[in-house]
Amino acid sequence: MNRISFASLNRKAILVGVLFTVTLIFIIRLFQMQVINQQMYDEKSAGNSIKAIEQIPFRGVFYDRNLNLLVDNIPAYTLRITPADYDTSLNKILDAVLDFDEGTVSNILKRNRIYSKYVPIRIKRGIDFRVVSWLEENSNYLPGVDYIVEMQRGYPFGVMGSHLFGYSKEISPKQYQQEKDYYRPGDYVGHNGIEKAYEMELRGKKGFKYVLVDSKRKEIGPYKDGNVDKESIKGKDLVLSIDGYAQKTAEEEMKGKRGAVVAIEPESGEILALVSSPEYDLNQFSYVTTKEFLEQIYNDPANPLFNRATMSLKPPGSTFKILAAIAALDMGVINVNTVIHCGGGFTFGRFFKCHGSHGSVNVIHAIEKSCNTFFYNLIYKIGLNNLKRYALEFGFSKKTGIDIGEETAGLITDEDYYEKIYGKNWPRSILASLGIGQGEISVTPLQLAYFTAITANNGMSYKPHVVKGYLDNNTGKINKYEFPKIKTSVKKEVFDIVKEGMFLVVNGNGTATHIRSNKFKIAGKTGTAQNPHGKDHALFIGFAPYENPKIAIAVVVENVGFGGTHAAPIAKKVIEAYLTKGRSINKEDKIFTEVIQTGEEIAD
Amino acid sequence: MRIDYHIKDKIDFYIVIPVLLLLLLGLIAIYSSTFNNPLAQNNFEKQLYFALSSIFIFLIIHFIPTNTFKIISIPSYAIGIILLLLVLVIGKKVSGAKSWLGLGVFGFQPSEFAKIATILMLSNFLSRNNNNIDSIKDILIALTIGFIPVALIFLEPDMGSSIIFFFFILVLLFWKGLSILWLVVVISPAVVALSAIFGTTTFIISLILLLGILFLLNRDLFFNGSVFALNLASGFFADYVYNILSPHQQARINSFLDPSSDPLGSGYNSIQAMVAVGSGGIFGKGFMNGNQTQLQYIPEQWTDFIFCAISEEFGFIGSITVIILFLILLGRILRNASNTRDEFLSLTQIGIFAVLFIHFLINVGMVIGLVPIIGVPLPFVSYGGSSLIVNVIMIAIVSNIYRTRKNYT
Repeated sequence: MNRISFASLNRKAILVGVLFTVTLIFIIRLFQMQVINQQMYDEKSAGNSIKAIEQIPFRGVFYDRNLNLLVDNIPAYTLRITPADYDTSLNKILDAVLDFDEGTVSNILKRNRIYSKYVPIRIKRGIDFRVVSWLEENSNYLPGVDYIVEMQRGYPFGVMGSHLFGYSKEISPKQYQQEKDYYRPGDYVGHNGIEKAYEMELRGKKGFKYVLVDSKRKEIGPYKDGNVDKESIKGKDLVLSIDGYAQKTAEEEMKGKRGAVVAIEPESGEILALVSSPEYDLNQFSYVTTKEFLEQIYNDPANPLFNRATMSLKPPGSTFKILAAIAALDMGVINVNTVIHCGGGFTFGRFFKCHGSHGSVNVIHAIEKSCNTFFYNLIYKIGLNNLKRYALEFGFSKKTGIDIGEETAGLITDEDYYEKIYGKNWPRSILASLGIGQGEISVTPLQLAYFTAITANNGMSYKPHVVKGYLDNNTGKINKYEFPKIKTSVKKEVFDIVKEGMFLVVNGNGTATHIRSNKFKIAGKTGTAQNPHGKDHALFIGFAPYENPKIAIAVVVENVGFGGTHAAPIAKKVIEAYLTKGRSINKEDKIFTEVIQTGEEIAD
Repeated sequence: MRIDYHIKDKIDFYIVIPVLLLLLLGLIAIYSSTFNNPLAQNNFEKQLYFALSSIFIFLIIHFIPTNTFKIISIPSYAIGIILLLLVLVIGKKVSGAKSWLGLGVFGFQPSEFAKIATILMLSNFLSRNNNNIDSIKDILIALTIGFIPVALIFLEPDMGSSIIFFFFILVLLFWKGLSILWLVVVISPAVVALSAIFGTTTFIISLILLLGILFLLNRDLFFNGSVFALNLASGFFADYVYNILSPHQQARINSFLDPSSDPLGSGYNSIQAMVAVGSGGIFGKGFMNGNQTQLQYIPEQWTDFIFCAISEEFGFIGSITVIILFLILLGRILRNASNTRDEFLSLTQIGIFAVLFIHFLINVGMVIGLVPIIGVPLPFVSYGGSSLIVNVIMIAIVSNIYRTRKNYT
């Protein structure tokens, strides 16, 4: 009876309708996906299967001025974990193998959880060969664990250079935000010293290798046979103005002391040595830095991370008398014949002591004997504002603009400064101690060395710098960087007079006769900065050879006492190292032999 | 008796040729998608053997007497149920579902066999008396015959097969002439159950819609109230079942709601499949040149996602070819079923139509992002022995009926 509805044409029509509708929808959808939106899917598909692998170029190395290799790249093994393939039950084993505290591996993994689990995470850099062979043997039981060879800094010359070279470390999130276009999380960037200042030159240019990957991001092979790959470009190899021997000597001499040594080539402003002591081991920063090392270095009362050479501020003490003499002579308030009587001190409101009774002294002998009385008098003739003017001309009370790292400006006061504090009638007696470089006056070791260099070269030099240029590996030539020239308005005769005084400090009856050398004529000036918190700071500035200065130096040793005793011998050693070893390699240098000849004349 | 040797009379080319072409396309795509995969090295050869042996199976079934199907319907149904029970006890677990029986070298899915058995059994029952199918007793018996295997398959749990059974049972009832009201009664619990899984709001909306439809078709308050109560219960039951569902099935349902919410999880297949299809363009990337396929972005692509490989490597042209072949095949079966006056044979063919059609709908639909990811192979194209042989048996039945059509039209 129900034949009417069984397999009726109506019902057939409905099924045919459904069949055609579904087919039509499929065709429209496929047309939309494959014809209209094909490009969108194509891009997604390409992005899926092509992986760009960054090729980190070799970082530029550092040569010294004689092309001795100071800092290079050495291969080191880095253990990595790819979280997607890794079994966390291996954490304990790896902790033990890597000499980590328990839980370290798990902590590193947790810290990196924000990145894709297919990206390998560096667990430890600089693992030793024993661990590498263990990894090789057990690789079947260590899914997701591998090692790669990475370049790490090495210091083949034996120079520490901790504050000079600086180190690189993983980019901070803040810097990454600012320079997203080049860096990736986990990249190493120069953190301080030359590594930071010359980061752009040193880092080179990253390359990219394109590979095909499967759905598990496993590499299958090169993309387009590597034709679209971009080679990485090696960073520039810097040629430093540093002399490896002078630097090494200065570092050895400063071992166990606090302070700084800065040596500069006067005619060029090139820094020959820059040491801040105590130093720290840069190798410790090349590896994944251990917690103990960081704790130790941060808690060290000597504060080894602090760059004393460019940042520590001390009164210049008697070394400052040279500037006062230059100012007075150049202004004409005294001449070489002006004599002041020293009876053991000077009275201005109160009595200012001299360390001896020098009788009648002119400016040359006042420098030789470091006579306080002479300079107490002199400052009142010069006037504080004039002194400040000269100080600025010679690089004090402002940053020198050295090409590396941070530095401090220091302070030389002027009349406005005291007027602001004490009013119009500020006690003029303050001036007396400023005249001998004590009191409210502070300079950095770099500023002292720079001042000495300008003086030695008769008022002319270049902005101080530690990098000369970079080595063009194709031509073997050095492309020099340019630095601004510095020229003071001071007359040449003034320098002759002052330098004669400095010569006598060492070679006459001065305060540093014990560093007299039979090889070179050293000229210099000792200084002792009063320190209300403990023992005085020892200072020495000097240059050599006297006639044709090739090295100017400033040495500051903290809390040891008299400058002649503690700072001058260090200066002598560094000068010796540079003039005998460093400069002897320099072929263009013929002055060296002359120096020996003249040196023999003055030998006693 | 004059024997007509005209081959067109014996074999329906509108059925056989699309099937052969689909098989061929499938073999090409399986070759391409397994070529680089160490896990599936021999799949192409295996599928080739299955394809060749299925031709023999086809020929055997093509030539057996047509009344055999009715005779074996009851025993085969009984065997099917026994196998389904057996698989629950000693079955092999494959991707979270206990649906395989080890049978010597080859695994075997009883649910595939149960498809044919249930179609035959249900066709047999529905054609037995020409009574009004709208009698509650007949409907309940028909539903019982249909839903015993569904319940057993659901317990495995194999959602894909459950949906396929539900669909062809419905189409058989529809073909038999079940009234629209009763169709609503049968379908609505499933629709309401699904909407309950989506959320409370959709659940309530579907209930309101149901009430509207019921009162449009029928004024009997008691009847409508009972149906409503049934639906309400099914909604709550679905929610309960969803919560005890195995995690991979829950994830599949969830990722359909928003595939991009978990791009590396369950939504991954859906996204990668669409990328593969879309990036194929008009002419495709060329045989063995589809990077999505060759780099194995879609796990086990040679089974349920074989359509991606064709779409990616042969483009719009390739995918349209597959669609057209299915349209011809399915349209032809529908036409043959409609022309067969014998109720049993007509119902059997429409059941086969329904099974193939729902496979086609779900498989292609899920690959192009219109249907949730449900593990259902594309007939004749996907890799898989039991599925291929069962599909060929079904086609052979249709072909057999075509051969003897003069006796039944």
